[in-house]
Amino acid sequence: MQRQPTLASSCARAATAAEARFRISYPEFARRNSRVIALDGAAAEVVRQMSGQRWDGGHFLVFDAALPVDGSGTVPAEARLRRADGTEVLLSEELHGADTVVMVAKAQASPGQATTAQASPGQATPGQVSAAQASPGQASPGQVSAEAAAVIGDACALRSIMSAGLVIPGTEPPDAVVSALRPNAMVLVILRDGDDIPEILSALRV
Amino acid sequence: MLKKEINELLTQTGPGTPMGDLFRQYWLPALLAEELPENDCPPVRVKLLSERLIAFRDTEGRYGLMDEFCAHRGVSLWFGRNEESGLRCAYHGWKYDTRGQCVEIPSEPDERQSTLCRKIKLRSYPLVRIGDVLWTYMGDPAATPDLPQWEFARVPAEQSFTSKRWQECNWLQALEGGIDSSHVSWLHSDGLKNDPLFKGARGNQYNLTDRKPFFEVVDSEGGLFIGVRRNAEDGHYYWRITPWVMPAFTMIPPRGDHPIHGHFWIPIDDENCWVFTYDYHPVRPLRSEEVQAMRDGKGVHNEYVPGTYRPLQNKDNDYLMDREAQKRGDTYSGIKGISMQDASLQESMGPIVDRTKERLVSTDSGIIMARRKLWRAVEALRDEGVRPPGVAVAHQMVRSAAVVLPKDQAFIEGCGDALTVRPGVKHASV
Repeated sequence: MQRQPTLASSCARAATAAEARFRISYPEFARRNSRVIALDGAAAEVVRQMSGQRWDGGHFLVFDAALPVDGSGTVPAEARLRRADGTEVLLSEELHGADTVVMVAKAQASPGQATTAQASPGQATPGQVSAAQASPGQASPGQVSAEAAAVIGDACALRSIMSAGLVIPGTEPPDAVVSALRPNAMVLVILRDGDDIPEILSALRV
Repeated sequence: MLKKEINELLTQTGPGTPMGDLFRQYWLPALLAEELPENDCPPVRVKLLSERLIAFRDTEGRYGLMDEFCAHRGVSLWFGRNEESGLRCAYHGWKYDTRGQCVEIPSEPDERQSTLCRKIKLRSYPLVRIGDVLWTYMGDPAATPDLPQWEFARVPAEQSFTSKRWQECNWLQALEGGIDSSHVSWLHSDGLKNDPLFKGARGNQYNLTDRKPFFEVVDSEGGLFIGVRRNAEDGHYYWRITPWVMPAFTMIPPRGDHPIHGHFWIPIDDENCWVFTYDYHPVRPLRSEEVQAMRDGKGVHNEYVPGTYRPLQNKDNDYLMDREAQKRGDTYSGIKGISMQDASLQESMGPIVDRTKERLVSTDSGIIMARRKLWRAVEALRDEGVRPPGVAVAHQMVRSAAVVLPKDQAFIEGCGDALTVRPGVKHASV
C-alpha cells in the first residue's frame, strides 16, 4: 500500500473543538419545501393544530379526495387537498417545487369519516375525508388511508420527491394503516405518542 | 436539526447534568473483565461520565471502583499498591477498601486509626462482573436497579466475546451511527463480500442487489426497533431489524449462522466514549476461527495500538487511509474494517457535532426518534423523577433479527418472538 504523509493541515487531527470554528457556515442554503398531508379525518385534526405553529415554510394540508384519471396510465395521479383555511388545492400544484412529503395517518376510524361519507364531495369540510374514500360504518383505518397514500405516493415517485409516513396511535391497532402506507413511503415511523410529530418535523426543517 | 440547548442537553453527561443523571440510572459497562485479570493485579484508571475513577480487584477477588485520587493530598491511586485487601496510596500509605472506605492511615497513632479512618470515604460505585464485562451503577444507591440481563453477557462464556475501543468523539454521534441503518449500503458495502464474520449468508445477496432500502421505525417500551426492508423473492421483503435500548445499547441484525453483534456507547467524557463491542451466539460456542477473527479485528471489532484500547487506525495516522483500495472498490471509503469506517467518519465530525447545522432527511428518522426519546426521558426524570426506559430488565430482553416476510406483513408481527430473547433458541437470521 502506498502511503501518503499524514499532514497536520489535512488529516483527521484537525477534527478538534478548536478547529470547529473554522467550519464554513451556510446560512444561505435554500429553504426546504415540505408538505405535510393528513390522510384521514383523525390525522387532519393533528395536522390542523400543527399548522398554527411557526414552521420553516412547510405547507400543512389535508387529503380530500382522489380525482379521476383517464386510466391510460400516462396521466399522473391527482387529488384534491385542503389547506388549513379550508381552501382547495390540487396535489400536483402543491408538489410543484416540493422536496419532501410527510404523510400523517392515525390508526383510528374518526367520526368525521362517516359524516363526510354521507356528504357530497363538494361539501367536505377541511380535515374530513370524502365519500370517495369511505363508506359509512365499513371503512377500516387502513382502507381510509390506502387510497390517499397510494395517490400521494405515486405522485411523489413520479416526481422523485422523498415521501415519508407518520402513523399516530389511535383507538385501532396500527397494522392496517401501516400496511396502507408501506408501499408508498420510503420511511415509515410508527409512533407511540403523537406529541412527537412536531419534533420530528422540526428536525426535518419543515 | 437540533436546537443548541437540546444538543447540549443530550451530549453533556458529567455530574449534575440532566443527561448525566439519566446515564446514572443504569448499570453501565465500565471495563472488560480482562483488565483486572487476577486478585491484587495492578489497578486501572477509568474515566466514566466525566468522573475520574480507579478500578481494582483486591486480595479476596472483590472488585472496587472509586475516586481515583487519595483523600489526603490528591495523589492518583493508580500509583498505589494493591495488597492485603486494599489499595494503598504510594505517597503516605493511606489505604482504601473496595468500597472506598479508608482503612488505614499509617502516620497516625494506632489509637486514632479507627476514628479518623471512619470519617474518610472516597466516592465509590459497585463493580460487578457479568460475562466479559465489569458493570457499574453510578446513581443513587437506594435506587439501584436489578443487575443487567443482556443476553450477550448471560450466555455461557464460550458463546460470547466482547472487546472495547476508545472513540474520540461524543457518545451521541457514535450511538447515532449504530442506529443509522441507511449508511450500511454505502460505507460498509465491502464487508458483506469479504469479512469472515459476515460473508456467505443468503441475506447478503438481498443487501447487494437492492441498494435502495425502505425504512420503518417502531417505538418500543425500551427504545426503538428500526426495520430496513429490501426486495426479496416474489411477494416478500428481506427485513433487517435493529433494536436500540435506551440509552446506549444497539444490536446489529445477524447474518446466516454468524454470531450476533452490537455495541454499548458509553461516555468517557463529553468528547470521548468507550465502544464496547459484543459478539455472541445464543445456542452454540463460538468457533475458534470466529474468536480469532474477532481478536484480529474482523467483523465489528478492530485492531489496537499494542498495549492499549486505542484503535490501530486512528486520527493520528489518518486511519491508514488506502486510496488505492478505495479506487479498486475493495473498500468504499478507503478505510479498512467496519468499526473504523464508522469511527473515522464520526470523529471527523468533531468532538461534539453541531447539530444546529445538520440537514436531516426522512431516512434519518431513526436518529430523530432516538433523540426525541432521550430528550423526553431526560425531562421526565428531571421534572418528575420518572425512571427511564431501558432500566427494567424486561427492556433488555431483545434481539435483532434478519427475516424474509410477506410484503403485507409488518415486521413487528412477522417476527413474533424473534425480537425477544428466548434462552436456548437460535436467533432469527437469513
